[in-house]
Amino acid sequence: MIHVENVTKTYQAGTTEVRALRGVSLDIEDGDFVSIAGPSGSGKTTLLNLIGCLDRCTSGEILIDGEPMSGKERRELALFRRRKLGFVFQSFNLIPVLKAHENVSFALSLLGVPAQELRERTMAILDEVGLGGLEERYPRELSGGQQQRVAIARALVKEPSIVMADEPTANLDSATGEEILRIMQALNEKHGTTFIFSTHDRMVMDHAKRLVRLRDGTVQSDERRSAS
Amino acid sequence: MKFLISLAWKNLSRHRRRTLITLSAIAFGIAAFIWMDAFLRGAEKDSERNLKWYETGSAKILHREYWEEIDQLPLKYAIDEPDSILRALDLPQERSTERITFSGELFFRDGSLPVKFVGIDPATDGRVFHLEETVSEEGRYLSAEAPEVLVGDWLADDLDLQVGDWVDVRTRTRYGAVQTLELEVVGLVNCPNPVINKGVCYLPLSLAQYDLDMGDAVTEIVLSASETSDLEAELSVVNARLRETAPELLALSWEELARDFVAMAEMKTAGSRVLILLIFVIAAVGISNTMLIAVYERVREIGMMRALGMNTTSIRLTFLLEAGAIGLLGSLLGLAVGALATFWIVNWGIDYSNILGDMDIGYRVRGVFRGAWNPDTMVRALIIGTVMSLAIALIPTSRALKMKITDCLRHE
Repeated sequence: MIHVENVTKTYQAGTTEVRALRGVSLDIEDGDFVSIAGPSGSGKTTLLNLIGCLDRCTSGEILIDGEPMSGKERRELALFRRRKLGFVFQSFNLIPVLKAHENVSFALSLLGVPAQELRERTMAILDEVGLGGLEERYPRELSGGQQQRVAIARALVKEPSIVMADEPTANLDSATGEEILRIMQALNEKHGTTFIFSTHDRMVMDHAKRLVRLRDGTVQSDERRSAS
Repeated sequence: MKFLISLAWKNLSRHRRRTLITLSAIAFGIAAFIWMDAFLRGAEKDSERNLKWYETGSAKILHREYWEEIDQLPLKYAIDEPDSILRALDLPQERSTERITFSGELFFRDGSLPVKFVGIDPATDGRVFHLEETVSEEGRYLSAEAPEVLVGDWLADDLDLQVGDWVDVRTRTRYGAVQTLELEVVGLVNCPNPVINKGVCYLPLSLAQYDLDMGDAVTEIVLSASETSDLEAELSVVNARLRETAPELLALSWEELARDFVAMAEMKTAGSRVLILLIFVIAAVGISNTMLIAVYERVREIGMMRALGMNTTSIRLTFLLEAGAIGLLGSLLGLAVGALATFWIVNWGIDYSNILGDMDIGYRVRGVFRGAWNPDTMVRALIIGTVMSLAIALIPTSRALKMKITDCLRHE
């Protein structure tokens, strides 16, 4: 479970102070499929970065599975991310010199998984996201949708409890975006992994079980819905 | 670790052309370093040998005053009883010879030139020097007492001298009286040491002793040391004995006798080091450019790796492995090219005779400059090339790793 308690985040942009989050409080249950939506500058990516332990809050606290994140050292946070969090990025961020299966196994290799197990788990997850037979391809030999599937497989291969996805469909056409969302939905249901998206894509919002809307750094609405 | 090595290796192929250019820059720097070192080492080694074989021997015993006024070559400061000195010093006769070196003017027809004359004992000079082997084919070596002279071939060219010509030598005796010697040119000296060819004439020692009122005196006892002996230690023993038996004399090593050459060689080595440094700067700029671009175009990738929980040490190590691989491969390539160039210069050398003619460039080498192998330099170049690459990559990598993960992920 993720507990966000009165979190604020202030950036210094040159001489200007930007208050990206102004006291956000939120609880996210295990296995949830949450979409954080809002217009540009509303603070959704900032919130996602804070929950994903990529950044630190100015004030407030974030607890994941009861563990407070604010007091952790940089190294401890890296270890936490490595073990418990998966990330899917808007522009995929695959390593171009690695094949599809190497990009996926990269996340597992950080955990020191033995070679045989690493291979098996990588192939299984690639199958699951529909990339069976394309394991030996380099990112440049895959379509945008296929690349995003590799990124999803990379996020999920280590069986994290939470997957953070920052605008995962932004660089995809609507059909491919929908396909990606269905894959994530299926994985959420099958593995019980918590998915948290930031998005301003209507389609992503429609797929979410819960929609949190942000505006000017505060929670404007928080509604649970039946996903399409 | 295996993954990091594999990733670093694959990263080298991201921009093959850029990697190739950087490799070439390093290879050029390393090859130039190795080749230049071989060239200088060869020139110094040949010069050292040619100094010992034709000018200084391994060491000389001289009168202190003669050494102090060596530019004038004053005969009044001579060694009066060289044989008894040798006996007193317990030095092996088969490794020594005696000479008289004096200055004079060489006259032929309407021309004349100031020249250094050396009275040599044809019977014993070969114990220390290799002069006899350098006498041109149309001439011959000196006989013991005849009024004969061997002339350096560049000097002979200047005066248009031939074997069989008679020359006049004007000089002063030990006591300052003007003396003129009439000598027949019996041979021309064509020696690998250009200093000899351009300004030295040789005449029989006994003739010089007689005509210069030297009696049995000589100006120097020249010693030859074996390659393996510790010359410095031997000379300190000789000097200690000289202080007891003949305090007016001193023994000097070839390095002290050829101070001009040693100073010049050191200067040229320092100059070459500056040149080598410049070459390395060029190579360093190449690596730094490659690594700078490699790091900055992968800032987002670095952000992704950190987001996934890869620690900064491992990311840094990936870039360092990449830079180290470029450095090592470039250095190996440079080593191969440098070794080939060195092989060529060791076996065939560079013939400067057409370019330099009889110009004096300080080295006691004439015509063909040959290099010498130096395995130490090759190993050093390999290490320098690799370590330099690593050190240069450290700066942009550390800078990128200091960025916040969120900034890395936003990086365009």
